[in-house]
Amino acid sequence: MHAMVKQSLPLLILCGFGAILTGTAFGSMSKIFQSIPGLIVVIPGIIAMRGNIGTALGSRLGSAYHLGLIDIDNLWNEELKQNILGSLTLSILVSLIIGVLAYLTSLLLGVQASLIKLLFIVILGGLISAVLLTILTILIIYIVFKKGLDPDNITGPALATFGDIITMLCIIASAYLVEAVV
Amino acid sequence: MYNWRIIVRNGLPLLTITACMEIIAGQLLQVEETLLVSLPILLVSIPVINSIGGNLGSIVGARLASGLHIGSIEVSFRDPELRDNIIIALLMGFITYFILAIGIYLFSMFIGIEVRNISMIEFMSIIISVGFLLSCIVILVSVVTAVISFRRGIDPDDMVAPVVSTTGDLMGILFFLFLLQIFGVGI
Repeated sequence: MHAMVKQSLPLLILCGFGAILTGTAFGSMSKIFQSIPGLIVVIPGIIAMRGNIGTALGSRLGSAYHLGLIDIDNLWNEELKQNILGSLTLSILVSLIIGVLAYLTSLLLGVQASLIKLLFIVILGGLISAVLLTILTILIIYIVFKKGLDPDNITGPALATFGDIITMLCIIASAYLVEAVV
Repeated sequence: MYNWRIIVRNGLPLLTITACMEIIAGQLLQVEETLLVSLPILLVSIPVINSIGGNLGSIVGARLASGLHIGSIEVSFRDPELRDNIIIALLMGFITYFILAIGIYLFSMFIGIEVRNISMIEFMSIIISVGFLLSCIVILVSVVTAVISFRRGIDPDDMVAPVVSTTGDLMGILFFLFLLQIFGVGI
């Protein structure tokens, strides 16, 4: 029981402080939420999607390492490429679903959102964050291999902490881009 | 061994279900958008509330899954080790929300976010109340998910994290908006 508190409590508090940074980015979007109706609706979905797809990729690569399918001298192989292609395809599909659902439910509740703007933001933001986090995952796996550590213990918390903040920043960047272009 | 089509086919159903639940959470935010935008410290708090809730549920779930696998925890809700795990998790949740409530308030003041409309005591009371309610829910959901999936022969490790983080996001936002009403914030 002591071990549970000793190991989990500091990590719980640390991740909470990490989330303050994500929250600050969220808070800085007040103005753009008002100028793009429906944008606030996609935020929980996109963050959750990134977390789910990212941790699944991390844990699959961890298993692939334990199975001997990938290793430090043979990192960029077919197994890794299929994994990356799979998680990028999922990111685009789920972003699309989130954008359409946000548009339709807003319409239902009497909020006139712009489908084009929402789709542009979620797909661009979803894809850029997917690419950045995939690179980060491979980088973490590479470092973990080099040090001879078990990827299962490192990739999960590391990806969760960086994932939320990177995703939030990508959505902000895409939203401002859409406001400037469309 | 891996094929991108199979990864997509296996992942898409659960991701679509979680996306639908998260859209409900997002619509709750949109309904209360005027209040949230007028007091950005509330927006800062939301990822913190949800992150702690999700992590707490995942920790309990992972411990239960291991306990069930090695047989040190019985598939019964009266098991003493299960009860101890729940009490410790509630306590850890309380401590974490307490510290983070202070953290969010001071950090917001430090970076110049408007906090004049809400006092530190009021803000802390709200975050700690939301945190306690959410801790109870995520712990309940993770215990039920772990035990049910274990009984049905599904690995609890695959089920608990997505189920807990999604229900946690939705309930966290719901409790938060509910308590803001009770405390009369922004009125």
